[in-house]
Amino acid sequence: MARFLVSRLAGVVLILLLVCLFTFGVFFVLSPDPAVQICGKNCTPELIERIRDNLGLDEPLLTQFLTFVSGLFAGRTYGVGESATHCAAPCLGYSFQSSQPVWEMITDRLPVSVTVAVGAAVLWLLVGVVGGLVGALKRGTWWDRSAMVVALAGISIPNYVFALLLQYVLVVELEWLPFPQAVPFSEDPTRWFQNYLMPWIVLAFAYASVYARLTRANVIDTLEENYVRTARAKGLPGRLVIRRHALRPALTPVVTIFGMDFAGLLGGALITETVFGLNGVGKMTADSIARNDQPVIMGVTLLAAAFVVVGNVVVDLVYTALDPRVRVRSA
Amino acid sequence: MSGATSEPLLRVEELTVTFDGPRGDVDVVRELSFALEPGGSLGIVGESGSGKSMTSLAVLGLLPAGARRTGRISLSGRELTALTERQLRRVRGDRVAMVFQDPLSSLNPYYTVGAQIAEAYRAHRQRATRREARRVAVEAMERVHIDDAARRVDHYPHQFSGGMRQRVMIAMALCTEPDLLIADEPTTALDVTVQAQILRLLTEVRAETGAGLVLITHDLAVVSEMTDEVLVMRQGECVERATAERLFSDPRHPYTRALLDAVPRLDDEVGELRSVDEGGAR
Repeated sequence: MARFLVSRLAGVVLILLLVCLFTFGVFFVLSPDPAVQICGKNCTPELIERIRDNLGLDEPLLTQFLTFVSGLFAGRTYGVGESATHCAAPCLGYSFQSSQPVWEMITDRLPVSVTVAVGAAVLWLLVGVVGGLVGALKRGTWWDRSAMVVALAGISIPNYVFALLLQYVLVVELEWLPFPQAVPFSEDPTRWFQNYLMPWIVLAFAYASVYARLTRANVIDTLEENYVRTARAKGLPGRLVIRRHALRPALTPVVTIFGMDFAGLLGGALITETVFGLNGVGKMTADSIARNDQPVIMGVTLLAAAFVVVGNVVVDLVYTALDPRVRVRSA
Repeated sequence: MSGATSEPLLRVEELTVTFDGPRGDVDVVRELSFALEPGGSLGIVGESGSGKSMTSLAVLGLLPAGARRTGRISLSGRELTALTERQLRRVRGDRVAMVFQDPLSSLNPYYTVGAQIAEAYRAHRQRATRREARRVAVEAMERVHIDDAARRVDHYPHQFSGGMRQRVMIAMALCTEPDLLIADEPTTALDVTVQAQILRLLTEVRAETGAGLVLITHDLAVVSEMTDEVLVMRQGECVERATAERLFSDPRHPYTRALLDAVPRLDDEVGELRSVDEGGAR
């Protein structure tokens, strides 16, 4: 077990290093000269030269990359003398456009994205798994068909269309919800909840649709397994046969994709956050892309990759606990 | 085992199993009748698709979706086809236990073998405690000669070999002391040497418990050793029914003769394996 964990963690570090290298390459080598962008409107060749010098942009690429990586662990200082700016330990870079270290920008906005992700996850797991279960157990009935039609709609309707539609109906027409406005939980829990409700529903709808279809297919497959027949031949009551012998094998794969989806969502829901004006990591990413604020884009990319890679390891560990066949032999 | 000797343990009368096919209904078993005395043994032989497995599943109402059965099936005089699902559930695994063909896929990979045996016991002994059920599971495993049963009870199916898994299936069937054991190709998925061990175990277990046996197989050698009576099925119908002894010495039906001819023999001069159709079944 310990060896398994160590080897997986070594893999995580390696992958993150590769992601680092890749994002660094893409954003700092292929995109337009950062110095020109930072320089702004009143630019002179001398100024550009000075910025280059300050940021170490004239150094060889490998040196620049190593500086970036060491900044992650030890922090780094941009520029020299009076204009020097320090970027503290997990230094993902410095946004000269917002005059803030990228790490700070991310941590400021992460709670919003986490709230969006957690709320949506609870909703989509509940609706998706229950919907899929009803579909599988009442296969071919009116229940099954309508659940699957709704799921098909959830998969095919683009996020932003559904978001705008929902906002129009619930806020403008029916006036069931107030216009979205950021309110901290401690100040007004009701308002806070109302503010997050629509993003949760929009995100959950798309995911729940996928989960419902997956759950339905898995349960139907599992019900045809020989061991389910054995369970029936033993004389177990029908609901025990389903609960013990069909659900666990059928839901284990759902756990796997849930881990990946949830980890991916922690990196920010670009469209949903933007449509509902939530100031999360996703909206920040969208804004940074619009402004071409490279250090921020790069930082978010790295963070999202880290979430997915770590999420993957967590999924593996959970899977080990759920499925005895993948358990590493301790003997 | 139970009650008056005048009632057979299992009586099947005019059993027909029908599937809804894309081009109309297909009878996979047609008007099959047989009876088994308490403690007796019956072999059902036939090629794949002859309806042997469907016959065994029909007895306990375990037919797959899309299959229907008609006819009468009675267990010690009690009509099983008239029972509700709830009543039938009490018969399954308790009075009639089944052993299936592929022990790996027939055991749930997510639970220990002990849990799965204990579950079969507790399904019919509601007042049994967990501890008691576990003890029964260990005992059942010892009865089928699984070494170190007290430790192996906590292992998962994938940690057992094919033969050991089938022993687990037999232990699971035994733990409720059933009157009738239905074994559907219990040795087909196993190695030849292991096959013999499992068959010996089935014989031994029957001698201990006095349970009746319906053995479904395509292997004539198996029925000749294991059962008193043999029923030969072909395309859903019974073509011949005889004592095992007579069937082998004096097969009446051409199909039975063809089946017997198709068994490869070491002293055979022909040098080529015979198939049933060439053997003159028609």
